[in-house]
Amino acid sequence: MAKKTRIKAKLKKGIITVKAMAKHAMLGHREAKKAKKDVNFITYMTATVNDKLVYEVSTSQFLSKNPYIKFKFKGAEKGDKVIISWVDLKGTTQTSIGKIK
Amino acid sequence: MNRRIFLTLGMSAFAVSLLPVNLKAMNFRESQPKVWSATKVEQAMIELFGTSDAIESNMKIKAPDIAENGAVIPVTVSTKLNASKVAIFQDANPESTVAVFSVPEGGIIDYSVRIKLGQTGTVTVVALADGKLYKASKLVKVTIGGCGG
Repeated sequence: MAKKTRIKAKLKKGIITVKAMAKHAMLGHREAKKAKKDVNFITYMTATVNDKLVYEVSTSQFLSKNPYIKFKFKGAEKGDKVIISWVDLKGTTQTSIGKIK
Repeated sequence: MNRRIFLTLGMSAFAVSLLPVNLKAMNFRESQPKVWSATKVEQAMIELFGTSDAIESNMKIKAPDIAENGAVIPVTVSTKLNASKVAIFQDANPESTVAVFSVPEGGIIDYSVRIKLGQTGTVTVVALADGKLYKASKLVKVTIGGCGG
């Protein structure tokens, strides 16, 4: 779980498309029981570029394992950094940085 | 207050404190914890938006008709509406709410996520724009063990 979120960001015609995959088991109640582990899933994820919020989501245990997200936004340049961070039910946070290509 | 909500609260406060202050971050798990325990789509909509009356237009949802694996179902929601909130619900799992997006100003609404469905169910997306609710829904059949449907 210590693995970083993979981020790919691409600029095309002024619109940046970001694809990201977070490494997380996303254990819902049923899965957790099966695996004999505690329930744990990402509850909140944000992405910022140049200190500006571009993506924000509150999530539940119904996202798939290793959640993959895709979103688009405007107003950034090549080389700018996309910072994605998430927090899970246990309070673990992780921040990963990707560059816009 | 049960343990789960309590934990969520503490954690969200922690997460928010980590973010720069100029962001108007909004964690719906913190501000509206009831949304996440709602077991019906209508109930979840009422908790989140205050009403379940939605116009069925202007929203696009992309999801497979038949999913062989209920654990990974790609869902894409897009709209040209100037929406401030977008939510994804389904009626196959014990609780209805999957995700709530808050759209930053000038944001493009074209979100893809992968979700889990325990069985065949309807995925509903709802957006709040100019005080009105818009929705779209799609039935996703989950077949277990291959070639059903």
